[in-house]
Parts: sequence; structure tokens; C-alpha cells
Amino acid sequence: MTIKKKNFKTLLILLGVGILIAVAVALYMFNKPARDVQSTKTDFSYKASEIVNEYLTDAKKANDKYLDEEGNSKVLEITGTVAQISEDFNHQKVILLKAATDKAGVNATFTKETNSHTQNIKVGDEITVKGVIRSGATYDKDLEMYENVTIDKSDIVSK
Amino acid sequence: MKKSFLTIVALVTISLTALAQKQATTKTHFKFFSTTPAENIEANNYAAVGAIDPSNGDVVFSVPMQSFEFEKALMQEHFNSKKFLDTKTNPKAKLTGKIANLDKVNFKKDGSYTAEVVGDLTINGVTNPVKEKATIIVKGGKISLASKFNITLADYKVAFKSGKPSTNIAKTVEVTVEANY
Repeated sequence: MTIKKKNFKTLLILLGVGILIAVAVALYMFNKPARDVQSTKTDFSYKASEIVNEYLTDAKKANDKYLDEEGNSKVLEITGTVAQISEDFNHQKVILLKAATDKAGVNATFTKETNSHTQNIKVGDEITVKGVIRSGATYDKDLEMYENVTIDKSDIVSK
Repeated sequence: MKKSFLTIVALVTISLTALAQKQATTKTHFKFFSTTPAENIEANNYAAVGAIDPSNGDVVFSVPMQSFEFEKALMQEHFNSKKFLDTKTNPKAKLTGKIANLDKVNFKKDGSYTAEVVGDLTINGVTNPVKEKATIIVKGGKISLASKFNITLADYKVAFKSGKPSTNIAKTVEVTVEANY
């Protein structure tokens, strides 16, 4: 085998390996599973009132701080008083943390996996939930009401 | 006897007043469905806030865009990105409408009614007039709404110019709405 031929063969092998890696990465990217919010590090911890007030003071600034361009927004731990417990159309538990004197609260949606962790929670309890922020609190003039901060993929944080 | 009669009158008045007032809900479901020969893409959102006012036919929905969940994380990232819906800049979509044929919808009587909702839809910061049919069901004093309509993405300046998303996402997507008030 001449040196030239040998080089050519090495090049082919390298190219082949390169293509294989590229295809594997592309497949991984394409099938990448949804972000696991609960195993993601918490970015901020607040009382429900604190984040609500931050949004009602300057929503644009708060959106800049918490929302991500690709939807992988900040992971928050929110402590507050349970004002309401309900269920959405997808049978996920929804817990509203809101102080009686506040205009809005934080609405936390749980998942099929974490629903059962809300079993013993009652209205009036003080709890901490961890989840990803989806939207902020605001007064909506068309709804004629305050909208809550919404967090999703929630779970209870035991302290 | 007189007292119980008064109680009944009071109760009926209260329940009628309750029906005539604006009702808000977070029990909602929005679904996007896109179909192309390449693939079907579906996204679900259970976090919208809706309101309906039987007295004047006002219908409002406020939809937090980042709450749309896709099967694949990459699709969700595309959806939220600047090239598509830019949900960081425009975190909410909004529908404000009125039931045009309010005389055909009896909120005080159980039944299924077809309502013509006329109004404005704002997605990606772009507002367009809309006119869609919705089914309103009244049962035991409770109101629910369901609708299915198509939106053309280009109308809302949502378009991928090239690459995989441009061939795999339909130009017109189907939106399904349901809400229990």
C-alpha cells in the first residue's frame, strides 16, 4: 500500500466516523426530551407576593429577567398561602398561592407524576412549590381582572 | 309562608344575577395542530384565562404562549424562538370578541347554541379581525364553550423562511378551544 492510498483510506474512515457522529447528534437534538424542571437548579426563591409585585411594577423588566427566548424560562421556588386547589382539563392539579391582601397570586400547575404530592394540602396551608415560570401577573383590561403569575411542571418542595 | 316565598325570590334573583355577570375561568384547553406530508405536530395549553359575559356577549381569552407543550423539546424551542412566536417579547396571545348573534344564545336555558364570535385575535403582537363559530353549551346554569378554527401563520408574521421547520409546519394550523366557565 502506498502512503497516498493509506492516507486516502484514513480520510475515508475519518469522514465516515464524522458523518456517524453528526447523524447521532442530529437525532439526539431532534428527539431531545423535554427539560426536566424538577432536576434543574432553582434560579430564584421568592414569596408569592414578591414576584407578583415585581410584575405589577414593571412587567417588561420582569419578562426580560425571567422568560427565555426558547421557552426554557427561569425555575422558581415560590412560598405562599394556598388560596385555591383545582384541576385543569389535562387532570393536572393547580394550586393558587395568594395572600388575601394581594391583587394577584402564583398559579402552579402540577404534572401527572407530581399530582399525588398535593393530596394532603389544604386551603390556608403555607407551602413552597418549584416550577418553571410561563407568564407574569398583570391587570388585563379586557378580562377586567388581574392575571396570576403561572408556573408549570410544579412539585412541592419539602423543607 | 311569606318568609319562604321571599327567600325563594331572593335565591332566584341571586342566581339570575350570577348568570348575567361576567364569568371567568382558568379551566381551558387550547390546541394547535399542524399537518404536512412530513409530520403532524400538536401542542397543548391548559393555562389560558377566559371570560364570558352573558349580558353583552363579550368573550375574552388570554393565552400564556410559553405554556404550549410539544412532544419534542426542539419543536417547543422553535415555537418560542424569535423566528416563530417570539414568546419572550409577546408572552400572551389575546382574543377579544363579541357574540354577534346573542339573541340566538339563551344563557338561562339548558341547550347547545351556535354562537358567531366576531372580534380581534392578537398573536405574536399582530392583531387581525376574526369571525368564528363557537358552540356554547348551557347545562344546569354552567356555561361551556368549544370552537375549532384555522389560522394562517403568515397573517401573524409567523413564518420560517427555510430549513426543516419551513417544510414540516403547515402554513395554516388548526386551533381547538374548550373552556368550562
